[in-house]
Amino acid sequence: MTALDTVLALSTLAALTAFLFGNARSYAWLAGILLTGQIVLLAGMDLPTSASLDFTIFGQTVGWQLDGFGRFFALITVGAALASVSYMGGEWGERYAAEGKSRRWLHGSLAANVMAMLLLLASKDLIAFFIGWELTSWAGFLLMAQGTDRALRAALRYVPYAMAGAMAVLGGLVLTLAWTGTLDLDGLASAMPDLGNARLAILLVLFGTGFAIKMGLLPFHLWQTPAYAEAPGAGTAFLGAISSRMGLFGLGLLLVKMITLSRLADLSLVDGLFNARDVLAWIAALTIVLPTFTALKQNDARYLLAWHGIGQSGYMLLGLVVGDATGSAGGLLHVFNHATYQAALVLSVFAVMHRTGTADLNSLGGLVTRMPLTFLVMLMGIIGLAGLPPMNGFVSKWLVYRSLMMNGMPLLFLMTVLGTLGTILSVYKLIHNTFLGQLRAEHEQIREAPWSMTVPMLVLVGLGFLTGAAPGLALRWVAQAQAALGLPVMSYTLGGIESARGSLDMLWVVGVLFAGFGIGAILFYGVGNRSKRIHQLDNYAGGHFLSADVRYHYSDNFYAGLMHRIGPLYRGSFVWLESALASATDLTATLMQAWYRQAVPALALLAAVVLGLGWVIWR
Amino acid sequence: MNPSVVALVVALPLLAAFLLPLVPGSARRVVGPLVLLVLTGIGMRLWDVASVAPVVLAVGDFLPPLGIVFYVDSVAALFVLAVALLCLLFWPWAGEGEHLDRKQSLTLILAAACGGLAVSGDLFNVYVFYELAAVASYGLAAGGRGAAGQVATFRYVILGSLGSLLALFGITLVYFMTGTVNLAHLAELAPKALVGVPGLAAFLLILLGLGVKAELFLVNAWAPEVYATAETRVSALLAGLVSKLALLVLVRLLVLVFPLPGTHEALLVLGLLGMLTGELAAYKARDVRRMLAWSSIGQLGAAFMAFSVPGDAGLVAGIAIALHHMLVKPALFLLAGRWGGSLGRIAGAARRSPLGAVLFVLFALSLLGVPPLPGFWAKYLLLSGLAGQPGGLWWLGGLVVLLTTVVEAVYLFRVIGALYSRDEGSVAADQSATAVAGSGMLAAVLLVIALSAPVLAGTLDRMAVQMGDVDGYVTRVLTPPAPAVPIGVAP
Repeated sequence: MTALDTVLALSTLAALTAFLFGNARSYAWLAGILLTGQIVLLAGMDLPTSASLDFTIFGQTVGWQLDGFGRFFALITVGAALASVSYMGGEWGERYAAEGKSRRWLHGSLAANVMAMLLLLASKDLIAFFIGWELTSWAGFLLMAQGTDRALRAALRYVPYAMAGAMAVLGGLVLTLAWTGTLDLDGLASAMPDLGNARLAILLVLFGTGFAIKMGLLPFHLWQTPAYAEAPGAGTAFLGAISSRMGLFGLGLLLVKMITLSRLADLSLVDGLFNARDVLAWIAALTIVLPTFTALKQNDARYLLAWHGIGQSGYMLLGLVVGDATGSAGGLLHVFNHATYQAALVLSVFAVMHRTGTADLNSLGGLVTRMPLTFLVMLMGIIGLAGLPPMNGFVSKWLVYRSLMMNGMPLLFLMTVLGTLGTILSVYKLIHNTFLGQLRAEHEQIREAPWSMTVPMLVLVGLGFLTGAAPGLALRWVAQAQAALGLPVMSYTLGGIESARGSLDMLWVVGVLFAGFGIGAILFYGVGNRSKRIHQLDNYAGGHFLSADVRYHYSDNFYAGLMHRIGPLYRGSFVWLESALASATDLTATLMQAWYRQAVPALALLAAVVLGLGWVIWR
Repeated sequence: MNPSVVALVVALPLLAAFLLPLVPGSARRVVGPLVLLVLTGIGMRLWDVASVAPVVLAVGDFLPPLGIVFYVDSVAALFVLAVALLCLLFWPWAGEGEHLDRKQSLTLILAAACGGLAVSGDLFNVYVFYELAAVASYGLAAGGRGAAGQVATFRYVILGSLGSLLALFGITLVYFMTGTVNLAHLAELAPKALVGVPGLAAFLLILLGLGVKAELFLVNAWAPEVYATAETRVSALLAGLVSKLALLVLVRLLVLVFPLPGTHEALLVLGLLGMLTGELAAYKARDVRRMLAWSSIGQLGAAFMAFSVPGDAGLVAGIAIALHHMLVKPALFLLAGRWGGSLGRIAGAARRSPLGAVLFVLFALSLLGVPPLPGFWAKYLLLSGLAGQPGGLWWLGGLVVLLTTVVEAVYLFRVIGALYSRDEGSVAADQSATAVAGSGMLAAVLLVIALSAPVLAGTLDRMAVQMGDVDGYVTRVLTPPAPAVPIGVAP
């Protein structure tokens, strides 16, 4: 039995036990142990490791093997699940069960997700890949549909997207088989680049669409926000952290391993000017900018974060498509980094919801003194999301920026900067409207979230800080992933990268930053005047006492001035496109049904015979 | 094995059907199930034998091409088995309303006719059994609910009769051109005698004629209303069983008698349109039974498309789709029995019938082709068969399969969403124990197939090879048997 067998067996066991005993209060412990076991095994695994199980069907061998690329994603997957499970294990889960919702199904669907993703990540051929892909989609659906009717409706909206994606992949799969005669991923890595341009373009569109849908790339992103945001908290964290990255995994295999980036650049649309690689890069760039600015307009913290989840995936793809050592390392590292801070942010929002019952950014404020730890988590989280030091989000984005500049892509670089600007604006709104400003009278008695919730969040942002200060810890896995894909491997140090053309040592950056903070603190507390602490509701303005019922906390239409300028640019085109497609289907369906409702079917039969005989004679 | 056993496939249920009214009261209830059990045994035995080599029976020792020939290859044997099992599963037990005797007799006649269609080796008998199946299914459908059911059955009778007429005309044309109705003999003569416009016309007439039962597009307008109004049992049998046997016969004719240019394209186009119209109409359906009926039309379209792919690849795919649909659709109809009517009625029904809802999800997922359920392999075979063809219409067909699957997902999940909705709107009755038990058994079969897919894939390949072996068919049927061997045994 290989290590991969054990990991898969453990994840299967986790799914089985979750569906059997998931309702039990202490089940989270068992889930945690099983997940930890998987992490340990995955981390210590020799690469690549094969699973013992394989079979041959209709002339194709189906098997599983985990390499560095898959292991990188697998570690994040299991880690995210561990964070979610520990969050579920305490008061949050109790409340969830007390509301009449099923912990069994929540644990079960989460475990099913992990299992499906591991199968996907370890696939050795396209059939195994498709099996994992579909299982991931439907396990994802199950997790999205938990909890409320709103969640179920959001998950149902995902169904046509998921199925369209799956069918695009399946279409690509059968054409690949017809054209290359193999479905083995390693075999395809050598066979696919030899295909002609037209065929390669068809495969690129089919597979690419399938993966893009899962990843939420433009224009296939509409399903993701409600589906992720409406899921139960622990589920939202897991989904936001890793679920849609399976699309990136697929794109990595397709673009880098099988088609290869250089072959991709040969697929030119306008000769010498614009090729398939540029198209992908620009799709990634638009995916950064547009969803980020949509996030800016959200008034529900969960939706805001979910929109950012879509936007951040653009950085990952962009880095991967640029494809040099630093760019691809940045893109891949961002998968890990995003998982840490996004999960922490989502959990912090749900911690606030747990105490206040709302995630509406117009109904919160001033919670910083009530929930200081949660505030700290959100603060560190948004620093990561915005890509600022000392958090890890800075490192990965810096790598992507750097490679864009080095490769002479200033316009794309500009797009990423624009996206970061939007992110900063948006996350400031998030933390301001939640934690800063005026405390609401109804929140005066609010307490900090329980330890069962704060500890997983703190661990996550702690991880984000640690890998921000010492990115080398995570870059080890990234380098293995690069090697497995056949990308140039970035040489890294514990503090970052060392290169003749500009190094980054986060140990120094963070050291300097905290030294600065230290000096500031000394000046403030040591040299400054004495400060006096007053109660949050003890406020004056212009000498007038402000009571809690006077609303002066500015939250609605937060960036009114900015929106005045850019508001008309929001056209809702994608929503329009989606509903137009639905209407068109509906109309066609009505027409089709009319055929079966015809009054005199015998006449149609006669017509069919006449037409048929006409065809026979004149064909 | 004595090949005469094959005759029992038809004779036994037919005899039982007509003698049933004469059996005294208490024993009458067990006759039908007993006969079907015996038939199951025969089916299993035939499967064992036929998977080595097909069994040929010349009835009454009149040697082909003159006498009646029954030819059982492994596909036919499997269908015989399926006929027995499905009729048993959808047997009209006591408590299924009035006229129980008639329903039992009709079901037995249906079993006989379907068995006959599976094993017939000549066009004349195909026609006879087709008519017999038609009459039995009219009778069963007429037992449906209320006036709507009777109108639906009337439309069915009209279309069915016209279809039979067309088929008969086509058979006449074949006989006129070749002077024989024996399939083996035809297979020998067809390449020379059955060509050009008359040959293709004969194919088209038979296709449209038998296509009525096989839910072929253009002649399938009867199906949705009949399935929606007939008893669940009957809908399950018609959609699951009868349509597949009509399809099986058509494919046999396609392989043996009509290897003409143009036939495959015709099948492809009609299948494609059937899938497109069926699945889209189902998308618009607002009640579960009509939805399943249209979905059945769509699936049959997929099967026609699969069989339109030339060579063994098409046969493998077609058999896989047909068998899968034969397993899944009856189960879904069974569950839809209590969940008919508008979707609003079943809002939240999963809470009261959790097992039924889980089974519905399982079958829906398999129908969609979600791996590792068997439906995936069927869809994979269909798509790779189509992708292996040189572009054009075939790829368009593949595209239609992909797109309609998305549509299918939307409407099936609409039902699933309603079942699991947290609204307390459910006014539908709890799922009946028999429906859950029946579909549970089919689910067990489905899961066993999923687990043993690699092994069964080999079996499927061998079945397709056997079915596509024209020379083998001709030799086995037409070579005079050696004196020492009982008449009709394959050399």
